[in-house]
Amino acid sequence: MFKQKTEKAQKSSYNKNLEDMDEVMKLVLSDIDGGMLHINGAHEVVENNSKICHCIGCFNCWIKTPGKCAISDSYQEMGKKFSQCDELVIVSECVYGSTSPFIKNVMDRAISYIHPNFCIRNGEMHHKRRYDNKIVISAYFYGDKITQEEKETAQRLMEANAVNYDGKVKKVVFLNSKEALGDVEI
Amino acid sequence: MKIALINGSPKPKDSASGILLSELEKCKIQGAVFSHFAVNKPCVGKEIIEKIIQHDVLVFAFPLYVDGIPSHLLNCLKEIENAGIKNKKIRVYGISNCGFFEGTQNEIALGILKNWCNKTGFQWGMAVGFGGGGAMSQFGEEKPKGMIKSLLSGLEKMKDSIETGKTAENVYVSINFPRWLYKTAAEIGWKQLIKRNGGKPSDLNQKY
Repeated sequence: MFKQKTEKAQKSSYNKNLEDMDEVMKLVLSDIDGGMLHINGAHEVVENNSKICHCIGCFNCWIKTPGKCAISDSYQEMGKKFSQCDELVIVSECVYGSTSPFIKNVMDRAISYIHPNFCIRNGEMHHKRRYDNKIVISAYFYGDKITQEEKETAQRLMEANAVNYDGKVKKVVFLNSKEALGDVEI
Repeated sequence: MKIALINGSPKPKDSASGILLSELEKCKIQGAVFSHFAVNKPCVGKEIIEKIIQHDVLVFAFPLYVDGIPSHLLNCLKEIENAGIKNKKIRVYGISNCGFFEGTQNEIALGILKNWCNKTGFQWGMAVGFGGGGAMSQFGEEKPKGMIKSLLSGLEKMKDSIETGKTAENVYVSINFPRWLYKTAAEIGWKQLIKRNGGKPSDLNQKY
């Protein structure tokens, strides 16, 4: 399920310069075959090539096996993977302004990345951090009929995700087709 | 008027979404005949879709997952869209609840539901975003009215919109309880739950 390129992988930290690709560990969540993507630097790709169970809201990843999802499939350790990256790259079909069901599933299964307790961030209630790495999100949404409203929703969704991870958004890109991803350097 | 109450929580019982739907049901919507559906798996199936589309109104209730719609429900929405339903008079309503205090944090997820509605060609009604959903399942059968006062006023607006068939603005409300106390109560709750599982409160901080 995971394709790993560890050659240049380095431990994540707060103060990396994201323009220096050699220093950045990317976790790429992709709903298309990772082999189609041109990814620079150290990275790991999570793709849809194994049966994935959906999050059932049991919260066991917070109160029974903290940091690890209690559902045993290949996507059980997504929270840990989130903690080991500097950049979270999302490659997804834009579905009503959301990520696709597969990408959303992976993200739902990764809530152990954050802590159950709340904090106040930007004047709103959010979850506290569990780990120290600061996630930067780059999202590539594709689809031939993405409406303006869907683009706005997707942009806001990525920003909200970044706030919840206590990270930030680097970029949100919209592409007319899956094939157009072949021309993009990620 | 046939109304389908669709519970999009992955939990088969005791979900906040189920409670919110039953509170809407108690609003005595004129001429309403309710049917209940549970969408707790990533697939609805042709037979259920056929039943659902026989309704005039669909009310989706779901928990906020990572600022959006839970993946299993999102997949079901796609399935319904792909079924190519001809009845475009169906009116869609949404009730989203989050563990965060601020009901406004449901805005994006409800926007996704509205975008789905536009894509399928259904009519959009309105939505209620509720903050403090974590407390709902802690209450017994009789909900403390004072604490869900704002929620009930939001559901009343939804009732009016359903009765008149007129689209209305979304309503975002929080539980009527101080935010700091809600936050403290949640922290106590997590400690109790991890102890019940044989762990220590400090295990909540564990880095796996």
